[in-house]
Amino acid sequence: MVGIAKYCAYVPRLRMSRAEIARAWGRAPSEAGEIAVANYDEDAFTLAVEASLSCVESVFQVPGGVLFASTSAPYLEKQLSAFIATVCDLPRKTLCCDFGGSARAGLHALIVADAMVKSGRVESCLVAAGESRAAVPESECEGLLGDASAAVVIARDHVTAEIVGSASISEEFTYFWRPTASPFVDAHTGKFSQTYGYVRDMADAIGSLLAEHGLGSKDITHLACHAPEPRAAFDLARKLGLDPKQQLAPLVSSAIGSTGAAEALLALGAVLDQAEPGQWVVAAAFAEGAEAVLLRTTPLVAEGRAGNSWSQWLAAKQPLPSYQKYLKYRGLFHENEGGGEVITNVLEFKELTQNARLHGCRCKSCGMVQYPLAPVCIGCRKAGHMEEVRLSRKGTIFTYTLDYLIANVEHPLPMAVVDLDGGGRIYLQVTDFAEGEVEVGQPVSLTFRRLHQGGGNINYFWKARPVR
Amino acid sequence: MRDKVAVIGVGCTQFGDLFEKGYEELICEAAFEAYADAKVDPEDIEAGYLGTYMPGPGGGKSATSLADALRLYGRPITRVENYCATGTDAFRHACLAVASGTYNMVLVVGAEKLKDRPGRGLPRFGHPLLAKGNSAPGLFALAANRYMHTFKVGRDVLAKVAVKNHYNGARNPRAHLRMEITEEKVLRAPIIAWPFGLFDCCPTTDGAAAAIVCRADWAKRFRDDFVLVKGVGLAVTAGRPYFDPTFDYLGFRSTQDAARQAYAMAGIGPGDVDFAEVHDCFTWTELSNMEDLGFCGKGEAAYWVKEGRTSLTGDLPINPSGGLKSFGHPIGASGVRMIYECVTQLQGRCGERQVKNAEVGLAHNVGGPGAVSCVVVLGLAG
Repeated sequence: MVGIAKYCAYVPRLRMSRAEIARAWGRAPSEAGEIAVANYDEDAFTLAVEASLSCVESVFQVPGGVLFASTSAPYLEKQLSAFIATVCDLPRKTLCCDFGGSARAGLHALIVADAMVKSGRVESCLVAAGESRAAVPESECEGLLGDASAAVVIARDHVTAEIVGSASISEEFTYFWRPTASPFVDAHTGKFSQTYGYVRDMADAIGSLLAEHGLGSKDITHLACHAPEPRAAFDLARKLGLDPKQQLAPLVSSAIGSTGAAEALLALGAVLDQAEPGQWVVAAAFAEGAEAVLLRTTPLVAEGRAGNSWSQWLAAKQPLPSYQKYLKYRGLFHENEGGGEVITNVLEFKELTQNARLHGCRCKSCGMVQYPLAPVCIGCRKAGHMEEVRLSRKGTIFTYTLDYLIANVEHPLPMAVVDLDGGGRIYLQVTDFAEGEVEVGQPVSLTFRRLHQGGGNINYFWKARPVR
Repeated sequence: MRDKVAVIGVGCTQFGDLFEKGYEELICEAAFEAYADAKVDPEDIEAGYLGTYMPGPGGGKSATSLADALRLYGRPITRVENYCATGTDAFRHACLAVASGTYNMVLVVGAEKLKDRPGRGLPRFGHPLLAKGNSAPGLFALAANRYMHTFKVGRDVLAKVAVKNHYNGARNPRAHLRMEITEEKVLRAPIIAWPFGLFDCCPTTDGAAAAIVCRADWAKRFRDDFVLVKGVGLAVTAGRPYFDPTFDYLGFRSTQDAARQAYAMAGIGPGDVDFAEVHDCFTWTELSNMEDLGFCGKGEAAYWVKEGRTSLTGDLPINPSGGLKSFGHPIGASGVRMIYECVTQLQGRCGERQVKNAEVGLAHNVGGPGAVSCVVVLGLAG
């Protein structure tokens, strides 16, 4: 049996209320709900890293493949699945592949991972989808898009939801698009696209999938679907003969905005949070056609989740105080150049295990764990006794400051000296903090973020985040 | 080396935002004042040491900035750069050169023109990823917060240091910030890097200072009130202390080690020091320095400050010049400026801010923070 062994969601904690967006543009603030917004140091890649790290840490088996899906990857050219594999400290022989182009990309990656495991090419495979999309300011699209990520591990063992089959529909249709040169997603929203695009193609894909497996609409416990316009999902459910109140999974787009390639995986995770063994679930996503995947939960379904549940993610939030902050965090005003020296390709290569894999060293003579890598022990000053070790991503603040003057997108910028669990001391920026959380003794975890964009490239590194 | 080297002349420019003066002009002002003070002919200078963090435009990473400014060609000149200990370390090298018997008379100049630079005068460099986001105030603040957490010291104590140093600096015609301030003003100022507000931080300053040292047995030819170099010490510890799991952040070992060396060479203890010019780049640093230099025990500096023991009229005046806090901090110049202050104090030339019965003075720099420290002990002959 091949299926999902682990799944994990990550929702950035910042929220922008749709009413606030409307108010900023002089519209009546009648729109309900909010969208999840990536912090200024997050992007589609770092969001995917968050979910991937949680997944990889929770599985027994090192994944042999990493598939990354996104329509909003911070690079047009650069294989980010390989970068995810590196940050997750996976072996160099890992099979890595990037997926993109549409909101279906997350399920495409899932289907390919399933095929790779079934074929025996890899024993298990990580699928990570991250999305952080910008809409044209003041457009109808602006309140529709949210930022989040999801990751799953597809494996033969410890399967919590078996992947039973999938079906596709593919035909040109214009709904959501972004030309290469544009930073903004645009869309033809409304009744026409919903009816002749979304509902028609999704119903065809799901209908044929159910028919192929001899299932009727009553057999499906939950439909977990990508639904950029929530209303269309209800039309879809009714067209398929499903009861929208009972059988439609919680809509990601209603809760945090439409999260593109990550959306169907997030909806699926929300379903698995509550699922019981032996239930049939369909995950589906739309774009120039539709992708539908049929799954059946196993007796292990309660053990599948890594990290927070969907409802915990929705509760762990912090409102953005203004629309201006939202624009700033989207990077629409200026880049965070950082100032000073920038990483070179040679330095990146030389220090990769230390900077990306977070390896430190341990002195075999006195036992002290230290960071960064060094030939001579800082404790006993002996040379030649160092072994490279993986450091913990959890620790405690030893001391700190809140810097109000340093060049940065947001102030204050907290800097902390952190003693890592199991040894090693590191000094880094603190992110995702609330007032009063940066203190001596505060427990933190490390998260991989955009540090700055100096030198025309993105410089990623670890930051500390208060553990709540 | 004790008593083998004498300071026979010192000079110091006005410190401040010297937008109308160039780097080499500052060097000339300081050096020619020192020449005049020592009554020496520039041609008698046998070697030179330039302490500078960033040389003037076109000066490059060499000693040519000093040679070109003074047209002091055809003799050895060495540039010294060692974080904020640059000035005192340049002075230390000049003393070693004379003490070795190689040269009879040596010029040392510390100079800096921070206001010509971007980034508020402080350059940004360092690893592109590791420790990214650090700043000078932010790095010292790491230690301050740990210290204040451990010894239960409040920001009001830091403010008292600023008030005292501004009081002294207001009485110093060459100081950068010549105004008295109140504790309330310090505490209400905008935060720079918690717990440091604006008045907890020294300014970035332009300025230069110079000293002429010669063989002690020659000193009498130039003046009666020459000052003897009693001891010097320099210590370097971790340049990245934030990665050292054993560092307690309660003080700086480099200062402790440099002080030990200087006291041993001088044959004195901290109790023999009559006044000190210490590196108060931030108010907290002065507390740490007092303890690291052995003037009081660990965690006791706050009581000394509260009791006014370090004021001009206290039993151990600290930073009678106004310190970096008020005199200003042109990085490479600061250490030599401290030598200037110590010498003029010992000679009784400091007017309103004169320390009474000053016979032994100490100059101290620490930079890095904590990575490098240099200590110089000076005293009157006899």
